[in-house]
Amino acid sequence: MRAMLDRLVGGRLVPLFIKELTQLGRNRRLVVMLIVPPTLQLLLFGFALNPEVTGLKLAVVDESRTPESRQLVSAFGESGSFLIPAQYPSSEQAGDAIARGDADAALIIPSDYAERRIRGETASIQLLLDATNANTASIAGGYAARIIESLNRNLAAQRPRAARPLSLTTTVTLLYNPGLQNSWFITTGMIGTLLVLVGSLVASGSLVKEKETGTIEQLLMTPASATEIIVAKMLPLLILLTADIVIALSVARAVFAVPVRGSLVLFATAGMLCVFAGIGIGTFVATFTKSQQQAQLMAFFVNPPVALLSGVVTPIEAMPEWIRPFTLINPVRHFATISRGVLLKGVGIDILYPNVLALLAAAVLLVGISAWRFRKQFG
Amino acid sequence: MAGSAGDTVIAPGAPTEPPSAPAPAAGGLAIRVRDLRKHYGELEAVRGIDLDVRSGEIFGLIGPDGAGKTSTFQILAGVMPESSGQVSIFGQTPLEARATVGYLTQTFSLYVDLSVAENVRYIGELRRLSLDEIRERGDRYLEMFDMLQFRDRLAGRLSGGMKQKLALVCALIARPQVLLLDEPTTGVDPVSRREFWDALAELSGTGMTIVVATPYLDEAERCSRLALMHEGRLHDTGTPAEVRQRPRLRRIRVRTGNLEAAEHILEGIDGVRDTQRFGDSLDVMVDDTAGGESIASEALAREGVTFTALKPEAPTLENAFVAVLRSIGGEIVVPAFPFDSTRDPVERGAVAIGAYGMRKSFGSFEAVRDVTVEVRHGEVYGLLGANGAGKTTTIKMLCGLLEPTSGDVELTGERGSLRSGAVRSRIGYMSQKFSLYDDLTIIQNLRFFAGVYGVPRDERERRISWVLEASGLEGREQLMTASLPGGWKQRVAFGASLMHAPSVLFLDEPTSGVDPLARRALWKMINAMADRGVAVLVTTHYLEEAEQCNRLGFMAAGEVVAEGSPTEMKAMMRGRLFEIIVDNARVATLALREALGHDRVSQFGDRVHVQSELPVADATSEIRALLDRARVEVLRIEETTFSLEDVFIDVVHRSRDAAVAEAS
Repeated sequence: MRAMLDRLVGGRLVPLFIKELTQLGRNRRLVVMLIVPPTLQLLLFGFALNPEVTGLKLAVVDESRTPESRQLVSAFGESGSFLIPAQYPSSEQAGDAIARGDADAALIIPSDYAERRIRGETASIQLLLDATNANTASIAGGYAARIIESLNRNLAAQRPRAARPLSLTTTVTLLYNPGLQNSWFITTGMIGTLLVLVGSLVASGSLVKEKETGTIEQLLMTPASATEIIVAKMLPLLILLTADIVIALSVARAVFAVPVRGSLVLFATAGMLCVFAGIGIGTFVATFTKSQQQAQLMAFFVNPPVALLSGVVTPIEAMPEWIRPFTLINPVRHFATISRGVLLKGVGIDILYPNVLALLAAAVLLVGISAWRFRKQFG
Repeated sequence: MAGSAGDTVIAPGAPTEPPSAPAPAAGGLAIRVRDLRKHYGELEAVRGIDLDVRSGEIFGLIGPDGAGKTSTFQILAGVMPESSGQVSIFGQTPLEARATVGYLTQTFSLYVDLSVAENVRYIGELRRLSLDEIRERGDRYLEMFDMLQFRDRLAGRLSGGMKQKLALVCALIARPQVLLLDEPTTGVDPVSRREFWDALAELSGTGMTIVVATPYLDEAERCSRLALMHEGRLHDTGTPAEVRQRPRLRRIRVRTGNLEAAEHILEGIDGVRDTQRFGDSLDVMVDDTAGGESIASEALAREGVTFTALKPEAPTLENAFVAVLRSIGGEIVVPAFPFDSTRDPVERGAVAIGAYGMRKSFGSFEAVRDVTVEVRHGEVYGLLGANGAGKTTTIKMLCGLLEPTSGDVELTGERGSLRSGAVRSRIGYMSQKFSLYDDLTIIQNLRFFAGVYGVPRDERERRISWVLEASGLEGREQLMTASLPGGWKQRVAFGASLMHAPSVLFLDEPTSGVDPLARRALWKMINAMADRGVAVLVTTHYLEEAEQCNRLGFMAAGEVVAEGSPTEMKAMMRGRLFEIIVDNARVATLALREALGHDRVSQFGDRVHVQSELPVADATSEIRALLDRARVEVLRIEETTFSLEDVFIDVVHRSRDAAVAEAS
């Protein structure tokens, strides 16, 4: 152990490390790449992918015209999600309004609504949604369901003996409501995607550049071993990308007011493991490619699946059954879970340890495979 | 278009209908340059040059990397404005003359995934030629360059020389009057280079004016006239013969078993102007032949150094350029090495690099088959080969970067585990132009290599300052490596590969593209290393470098087909070589080729080289008879020595013929 440490610190690793660090420091494009895209993308995704929907125009057809029906309408109005620009006399006209784009949704309250409620029977209302934008439609449906549910709870509280409160069946499949989660949800997960993305690009870039210019041969002719070369390539990146963790978290805090409820150490550790995974992916890609262009094209195959199959943007529950197991090997998925757990829920390692272990395994595996490939190619 | 070039004025703005070749009568002035200057910020790349190029000649602009050749070409081609001075091409400014000028840049813009014919057609269509014209002209040039049968081959699948010729066809399709070629043969092997120059001679025969830039002096020999360019200025202009004779120095070639001692003795004694060491001989420059011979033989005898031959030879272009460069003060002094011996003791004459029956296959393709080579400590061994001969694969296996499919490789006494750090710390390696990190400063590069090779800490600063001194960069170590011109960079890279006092050196084209003085300085260092017992393996396809090696191995089709010292290699040639000076070299070349075969005749400017297996008297009478019939006046015929290039081409042809015979 002592001898190994001596070899690492006193030997060739130091000049290799200094060389890599100097080269990275001189590479303006890289420094820009480390700072700008993460910040920008975090902002972009935080705002643009924020699934919160506000100001949906709701056309109301109130055939009941009772205090009960007005209570329902005002529940929608007060939610903040819906605006009620006008009432329409018939459902046909409300439908036309949606067709014209004057309204995004229509609420039709039948004439027997109040009677049925008073009788304690299940009253049904009709909600028409403009599903042109399926996402907005499902979110709106989710809002409506939530509004009605809370109304139901209030009514149930008033009338504890009621056998069965109001219910709506139309929107049951949309009950998963992404609208509940806002920019916090996106940004906390997005940090992991960014770390893997930037890490893989920078790592493949730095290795492929040596291949492209031919200096890799010169390097391999030195007494430095393939392991030393690869370690010296990875370490400075790890340091630089750790800065990305800080940048990303700062942006998330400053712009979206993401809270930090749990341990920052745990978060940083997870972040670093994520960076390692990214470097591993990048190095792996680099061993298969000859030019920066090829490497970037190849990264294009690797990175989108990693980003999409992580549950950062699309919920894993919404993915087909057969694909879900694959997300378990995705480091970003585990980082997202840890990140959300630590930052938003304030839970610790006692709960998150399966994810931490999985992330560690993924990082070790990716770095290991890439180092093995590198050694096999050049060792 | 007949008449003197001076009054051949095409009105500016006239339709760019390509003028028809042949260009104006040969001998008129095609290009006239006066006091041309070009600045890039503070850097002055071209510092006032005067140049006259006659119509129909091949004019060579000879100079190392960074001499200002490319800047001059870009101005002549009208793609970059001059800072000051006058340039006229057939009486027009370069911008006006653009339609009449064909310009080949250093990196050819061929479309590798188009066929030969498609490339030609694309360029022709860009020039708005009709399809018939394109086909007619394209086929004519392809035929002239012996490429018609490759019309449908993808450009990416052509050999280096053929790619070059295709680029030439593309440049010719618009029928330029002037062809500007910027280092057209860099990275091209000797066989392809000779093919390419044959094509140029062919073109110049049709009246085309050709200006060609090159850092290689053997190519300079094939120009009608040439000028030496150095640091933005032109120094010597004339025909190759004029330039060679100008310094009025005589060359005496000394052959001896102990070159090191002989050089040491003759260096700096009275009457000796200069000495230069080659692989198996020493050149001594003196004022007159007889006096020089006696001075040299007496000095050697006094010190007890025996020599096998001491005879006068014609001075070379290199001798002339060295004299010119010295007169303008470009001398490079190589400081003494900071170490006396290699890090690990070596035994002179012991095998340092050995390959025994080494083979390498990639799939079904056999890149290297059965190579056996031994390089001993204290020896400079040159490995030569055409592109695709398996040279790169061989060297990679010898230095342990690649595992042979079968056979044994030995490196500094180790077999098997060539990839160990211990072996590699005894090896110095310099690949051409890739050796340093461009994005580090010079000092950072040197510190890195010193560190990674484990140069002892207390030695590092001393050795780094030695490299800086040897490359003339003291006080400029904070410069970015990318900003250094090629020659300087090569010297730093070479120094960097020596800092750990290796026992074995691998050098890939260590001195290509540098000026003759820098090349001499580098070879001085290489020889000094060999004198300390270092085994040096050089790969190159520049024969100027090959001349510097003690022993050469020629590779063709994955095998070492010939081995020996430069002199032995030349002696291996069958027959004799005759140099014929005639009044019309073009007609003479064509007539002789017709009768004797294409491969035996090549045109060198105003001279023709003919290879013949007949006795001297029979050969000369045959040549005279042939030329008489062609109505060419023979001014002089004399037997001359084969160049290594001749040997190389012969070796390649023979191995190709053998392969054909084997196949049938």
